[in-house]
Amino acid sequence: MPPRSQASRKVFFGLAFAIVLDTFLQLLWKSAVADIPSQPTLWQTLQSMARQPLFLLVGLLMAGQACNWVVVLDHTDLSYAHAITSLSYVSVAALSVLLLGESLTVPQDLGIALILLGVWFVGKSDHQGEPSAREAA
Amino acid sequence: MTASHFGILLVLMATAIEGIAQVCLKKAAMVASGKGIWRVAGFACFGLETAIYTWSLRYLPVSMAFPLGSLSFVAVTLLSQCLLKERVTRMRWAGVVLILLGASLVAGRA
Repeated sequence: MPPRSQASRKVFFGLAFAIVLDTFLQLLWKSAVADIPSQPTLWQTLQSMARQPLFLLVGLLMAGQACNWVVVLDHTDLSYAHAITSLSYVSVAALSVLLLGESLTVPQDLGIALILLGVWFVGKSDHQGEPSAREAA
Repeated sequence: MTASHFGILLVLMATAIEGIAQVCLKKAAMVASGKGIWRVAGFACFGLETAIYTWSLRYLPVSMAFPLGSLSFVAVTLLSQCLLKERVTRMRWAGVVLILLGASLVAGRA
């Protein structure tokens, strides 16, 4: 259930959106990087990125993520928000099982449990609710 | 230096640069004036991080790069505490360590 205050709602939905975007970014990036020649220079890497249409989509998603992230950071601690986005590791694993038919190993299951426990710990820690208002004061 | 060592160095560089990028963006949210400069610096760092991380994937298997990349959770928390003076409680540190371990296990076979 989303939180009640406006600032908390912005953080909640902002973080949820960040996780969704990050999930698609990771899946796309993995596909796009496969077309880069092996052991290139940094310049060759940049040239390959410019030629590969998937990287354009990655760039667009990154731009959307950046705009969303700026809003999130306006309302909460960086160390809190960044840790919560680790849930994208869980969503990528879940999508790999649901959409790609991949299976998870026991260590990966354990990893998902640790991430969820870690996010619960971070979520329970004290964090800044509305930094803009506090800064203004 | 072997190709693997070079790849590890690149991932660690990308991790550190991501931490700096995040701090710049948070600075933009905190300051009353000069937000644009911090944002440009943050996004420039993200661009550099993207290029370096992509470069590293040609020297390292993804199964090694992803777990190393999860060190960014530690880097960001540490930089938030040191540079932004955020109050990072023991509970949050415990959470970050659990996330680091979990992300390493999940991404280890990516």
